[in-house]
Amino acid sequence: MKKRFDLSTLMRSKVTWAVVAEVLILLVCLIVRPDFFTISYQPSTGMLYGNLIDIVNRSSEITIIAMGMTLVIALGGTDLSVGALVAVSGAIALKFLRWDVTVYNTPGDYTVSPFFLVLVVPMLVCILMGLFNGFLIAKWEMQPIIATLILMVCGRGIAQILTNGKQFTTGYSPFRVIGQGSFLFLPMPIIITAVVVALVSLFVRKTAFGTFVESVGINRKASRLSGINAQMIIFIVFALTGFLSGISGLIYSSRIMSNDSNNAGLNFEMDAILAVVIGGTSMTGGKFSLVGTVLGSIIIRTIVTLVYYFGIASEATMAFKAVIIAVVIVLQSEPVRNYFSKRANARAKLANGGVK
Amino acid sequence: MSDSRNSSSRSLISSIMNPKFIMVYATVGIFLVIYLFGAAAYGSKGFTTLRTFTNLFIDNAYYGISAVGMTMVLITGGIDLSVGAVASLTGMFIAYGTSVLGLNPWLCIAFSLVVGVGLGLLMGWVIHYLNVPPFITTLTGMFLARGVCALISRESIEIKNETIDALASWKLYFMQFKDGEWVRIRPSAYINFNVILFLVMLLLGIYLLQRTRFGRNIYAIGGNEQSAKLMGLPVGRTKILVYGFNGLCSVLAGIAYALYVKSGWNLSLQGAELDVITCAVIGGTLLTGGEGYMIGTLFGVLLKSMIPALITFNGNLLSWWGKIATGLLLLLFICIQKIVVSSTERRNSRTKKTKKSKA
Repeated sequence: MKKRFDLSTLMRSKVTWAVVAEVLILLVCLIVRPDFFTISYQPSTGMLYGNLIDIVNRSSEITIIAMGMTLVIALGGTDLSVGALVAVSGAIALKFLRWDVTVYNTPGDYTVSPFFLVLVVPMLVCILMGLFNGFLIAKWEMQPIIATLILMVCGRGIAQILTNGKQFTTGYSPFRVIGQGSFLFLPMPIIITAVVVALVSLFVRKTAFGTFVESVGINRKASRLSGINAQMIIFIVFALTGFLSGISGLIYSSRIMSNDSNNAGLNFEMDAILAVVIGGTSMTGGKFSLVGTVLGSIIIRTIVTLVYYFGIASEATMAFKAVIIAVVIVLQSEPVRNYFSKRANARAKLANGGVK
Repeated sequence: MSDSRNSSSRSLISSIMNPKFIMVYATVGIFLVIYLFGAAAYGSKGFTTLRTFTNLFIDNAYYGISAVGMTMVLITGGIDLSVGAVASLTGMFIAYGTSVLGLNPWLCIAFSLVVGVGLGLLMGWVIHYLNVPPFITTLTGMFLARGVCALISRESIEIKNETIDALASWKLYFMQFKDGEWVRIRPSAYINFNVILFLVMLLLGIYLLQRTRFGRNIYAIGGNEQSAKLMGLPVGRTKILVYGFNGLCSVLAGIAYALYVKSGWNLSLQGAELDVITCAVIGGTLLTGGEGYMIGTLFGVLLKSMIPALITFNGNLLSWWGKIATGLLLLLFICIQKIVVSSTERRNSRTKKTKKSKA
C-alpha cells in the first residue's frame, strides 16, 4: 500500500523547514538578480561557473567539518576545536611546502618535501588532536564543550609556534588543485565534499555505527549496559571530526595558497554547529540528519551570497545572517512546529469531513 | 557567652572546611603558587610590587565584569556567547555617538544599556519559551551584535570626549602616611574607574547569588531545572532575568573596555566570550550548572591575567605561548575538578553504604 501523504508529520520535521527556508532565500536572490540561476561554461579552465556552483563550492569547508560535527552533536556534545584544527592543518601543510630559499627567492612551483607528506601529515596531526579530545571526553568523562575548549585556545598557539608566527606562501601547483582545481567540470572542493559526504553517509547508515551514535547520544549509560562500547564510539567520532577538519584546512589553505594562523577557520566551529542545528539535528543529542546538515551549510552560504548582492560589507553580513538564522530557528522551535502541525491536523480533519 | 562564641567559631570553621569550596581553594592555591613563582623569578624586576598587582585588575577589569554575569549564566546551566560582541557594540555606540554624532556620552551609555539588557532579556525569553538551546540562541545574538557593529562602522573610531576622558583618566592612588603627611607610595599604584566598577559588580554578584531568593533560584535551576519547576520556583522569570543581568554585565564590560582603549572597533574583543568562560571555569564553575562561586571567578580572572603578565616580565617568550599556557591551565583545572568530583562521589557513596549497614 502506498504511504499516505501526511502533512502533519511533514510540518513537524525540521528538515522541511530548512528546505522551505532555502527555497525562500533562493527566490529572494532570483528577484534581486534575475540571472541568478545561470550557469556558464568556461572552456579555458574547464569549469562551470555560476552562483549556485559558487555557493556549493564556498560552503564545502563548513560542510566537510559539519559532517563530523553532526555526529558529535548527535552524541550530545559540541566540538569547539575544529576552527583551530583548520589553522593547524594549514600551518603544517605550508611548513612542508617550503622550498630551497638559496635557489629561488619567490614562491613558485617547487617544494622540498614529497607531496604526500603535505597531505598526510596535517591529517594525521588533526586525527591525533581529535583523539586527544576523544580521550578527555571518553576516558575522563569531561564535558565535550570544555574538553574541546582546551584545543580551541591552544590550537592557534600551536599553529603559530609551528610556523614561528610567520605567514608562508607557496605556488606549488599540485597543492593548488585541492582548492582551485577542477574535475568533471566542477570545482575540486565540491568533488571532495561529495566524496566525504558519501563516505560518511555510507559509514554511518550502512553499518550500525549511526545507530550506536544515536544510542550513546540518547543515553550513554544504557547503551554501555546493552553492550555498546561507548568509549570507542566517542573516540571514533572525535577522531573523524579531527580528520575532516584537517581536510577542510587543506582546502582552505589551498584556496589562499598560504597559511594564516590567526584567521584560518575563524568561527568555523560556530558555522558548523549552526549548519547542523539548522539541518534539524537537536543539540541535546540523539537523532541526526546528514542531509539536513549539508542543507544547513548551503543555507548559511546562500545567505552570505544574498547579502553580498545588496552590496553590504562582508563583516556586516553577520547581522543579516543572524536575522535569517533567527527566523529559521524560531520556525524550527518546538512550540512553533507544534502549532503548525496542530493546524495542519485540524485542516486535514476538516477535509476528511469534520469532527471525529 | 563563651559557649556561643565557641559554637559560632566552630560553625565558621566547618563552613570554611566545607568540601563544596574545594574548587575555589584549588584556584586560590594555584594562583598563589604561580604568584610565588613569579615573585621568585622576576621579583627583582618588580613583580611583587603593588603596582603589578593592581595592573592585573586594571588590564582585565572588563573580563572580570563580564565574568560576573557569565558565572550566573553558567550556574543556571546555560551559556552566553554574545558577551564579547555586545561589549564591542557598546564601545561602538559610545565611540560613534560621541565622536561622530556629537551626542552626550551618558545618552550613548543609556542607549547601550537599553540595547544590551534588551537583547539579553530577549535571548532569555527565546531560550526559555521557544526551547532553543542557549548555545544557538546566544550565537545568533553574537552574530547580530557583530553585524550591527560592522554596519555602524568598519573602521576604528577614536573617542574624543571630555567626560569620557575624565572618566578614563580618573585614578585613585594608594597613599601612605609618612612624616606627618599623606604621600603616594612608591612605585605609585592606583586603581581606576574600571576596577571600582569590577569590584562593585563582583560584590553585587556575590550578594545576589548568596543572599537573595533570586540567587538560590539560580542554583536550584542549575541543579535540576525539572525539580525547580516542580517545586514551583519561577524558572522562566529567573532564567530571563539572568540573561538580562548578563546583558547588563556585557554592556558595563564594553564601557570599561571603551574607557581602557578609548576607541570603538567592530572587531574588538573577538573571542572574548570564550576567554570569559575560561575564567569562570578556572574559577571552579561547572558548565553542567548548579555549582560555582563569584570568589572563584575573581581568582579565575586574576589567574588568567597573570599569564600575559608573566610573559611580559620574561620578555623573551612570544605572545602565543600565552594561549598554550591558558589551555594547559584549563586542562589542569578540569583534571582537578574531575578528581574532586569523583572523590566526593566516592565519599558520598561510602557514607550511604555505612548508613545502610547500620540500619
